[in-house]
Amino acid sequence: MSLHRSSRKYHKWLMLFIGLQLVVWSVSGTYMVLMDIDYIHGDSLVAKQKKNIAPGQVSYSFKQLLAEHPQASKIELGIMLDKVVYRFNLAKKKVTLSASNGQLISPISKDIAIEIAKHNYADKSIAISSVKLITENTIRELSSRHLPVWRVEFDDFASPSFYISTNSAQLVTKRHDYWRIFDWMFAFHVMDYIDESPDNKLLLIVSILAFIASIFGLILTYYRLAPAQNKRRKGKSGRVKLSKSKPKKTSKAKLEATSE
Amino acid sequence: MNKANKKNTKYFMLSTIKTLHKWLSLLVFIQLFIWLSTGLFFNLMDHDKASGNQYKQNLVSQDIDHQRLFDPKELLLASNTSASEVALIQRLGKPYYLLTHDKGLYKHFDSHFTLVDAYTGLIKKLDIEMASALAQASYNGPGKIANVLLVKPPINDFLKEENNLWQVNFSDELHTSVYINASSGRLIGHSNEDKRFVDFFFMLHFMDYPLFGQGAVGGFNNLQISIFAILTLFFCLTGLIWTLELLIKGRYK
Repeated sequence: MSLHRSSRKYHKWLMLFIGLQLVVWSVSGTYMVLMDIDYIHGDSLVAKQKKNIAPGQVSYSFKQLLAEHPQASKIELGIMLDKVVYRFNLAKKKVTLSASNGQLISPISKDIAIEIAKHNYADKSIAISSVKLITENTIRELSSRHLPVWRVEFDDFASPSFYISTNSAQLVTKRHDYWRIFDWMFAFHVMDYIDESPDNKLLLIVSILAFIASIFGLILTYYRLAPAQNKRRKGKSGRVKLSKSKPKKTSKAKLEATSE
Repeated sequence: MNKANKKNTKYFMLSTIKTLHKWLSLLVFIQLFIWLSTGLFFNLMDHDKASGNQYKQNLVSQDIDHQRLFDPKELLLASNTSASEVALIQRLGKPYYLLTHDKGLYKHFDSHFTLVDAYTGLIKKLDIEMASALAQASYNGPGKIANVLLVKPPINDFLKEENNLWQVNFSDELHTSVYINASSGRLIGHSNEDKRFVDFFFMLHFMDYPLFGQGAVGGFNNLQISIFAILTLFFCLTGLIWTLELLIKGRYK
């Protein structure tokens, strides 16, 4: 069998089995490159926060906090809505305290979570469609390290969800439908549908086969499109149907030429 | 007549699809092989090496004497230094207040900080000595500090970073570079030859190089990859239709 014929055979057969993954790679790849990554991350949904700490509100000092909670680490003085608060780690958990009196604020209630979500959402005209507390068994779009969280869903284009940590009273993650599609696209791109890790055996095997099939494809490109080869080999390699139709056309053309 | 016409258009469509497939193959084959081979590389590479963290160690924190803590409220009241966040942090075992003036949505976004000694309340400028010491504290390799540079974005090792960084270069066999945020002193990360090697493959896979004006950005939203992605999409779809035709015609035997 000539190289041309065997290449066609192997290209045809290999692509029967892995061609679909090549389509998946190109569809998912195209989606990922065409979608603006900042939009996918939901950055445009978040309102810019420009507020500074009002020093007058701070009556409870770092010193007092450490005296009462000696094990506290990563202490931060920041803002929650219009309040000044402390956030810190205590026994592997985030805690939020009021900076005016040292009172515990976390875990926050549903109403405060809604307020924080609205405060962080750029478009103030959008209503909230549902609020849910997630404490365990996380969902695909949320990392378990953020638990427990309030999931606040907005009644907006692409169904955005804001996740507000109950302990830090902060926006921890934002998701919308195009992110969700992107996530699946990536999973299909790397052929790992659960952990989304690119070092899996399935991807290895399919990539190698795709590489081999593509080399046969390149050989075919050469035979079909290289000008000199094209003329010489067309008759030999062309499909039965093609070679049948070709002489007809030429004889017709010849007839026309002679009749003129 | 009608039937024959239909048949003709169908044949015409299929032959167009085949012609398209052949010519598209010529247009995309080089990039397609780059995608396949770099993809294969990502599959097979050593992910620990790719992180650039061979010689990275965790920073240790010391106990601080909270009785001696300066009240940062005075800072906020006294001067025109307003802050959206004040964090009690440690640098080289000493407590500091990190005042955030402008904070981006993510850590690598353009941000502005002031570092204040938490015992004295004096502003601490992050100089070359402190940057070197911070880098050294995060490093457990055999190298010594070869040189220290203040670098501005874009920074090849961390393309997405928008802040000025101290680049501390170590003289080890991996050419480790340690990056420290020039205003907060936060450790941005380590990079070395292994990571740079992997980054080169990512650049190829994402076509993240200057071709239509903009330089490398560490991402995959660029014009050249968009064009090639769409061409490749058509290439694969025409191939799929061709395969389906072969299947229907019973050519798989």
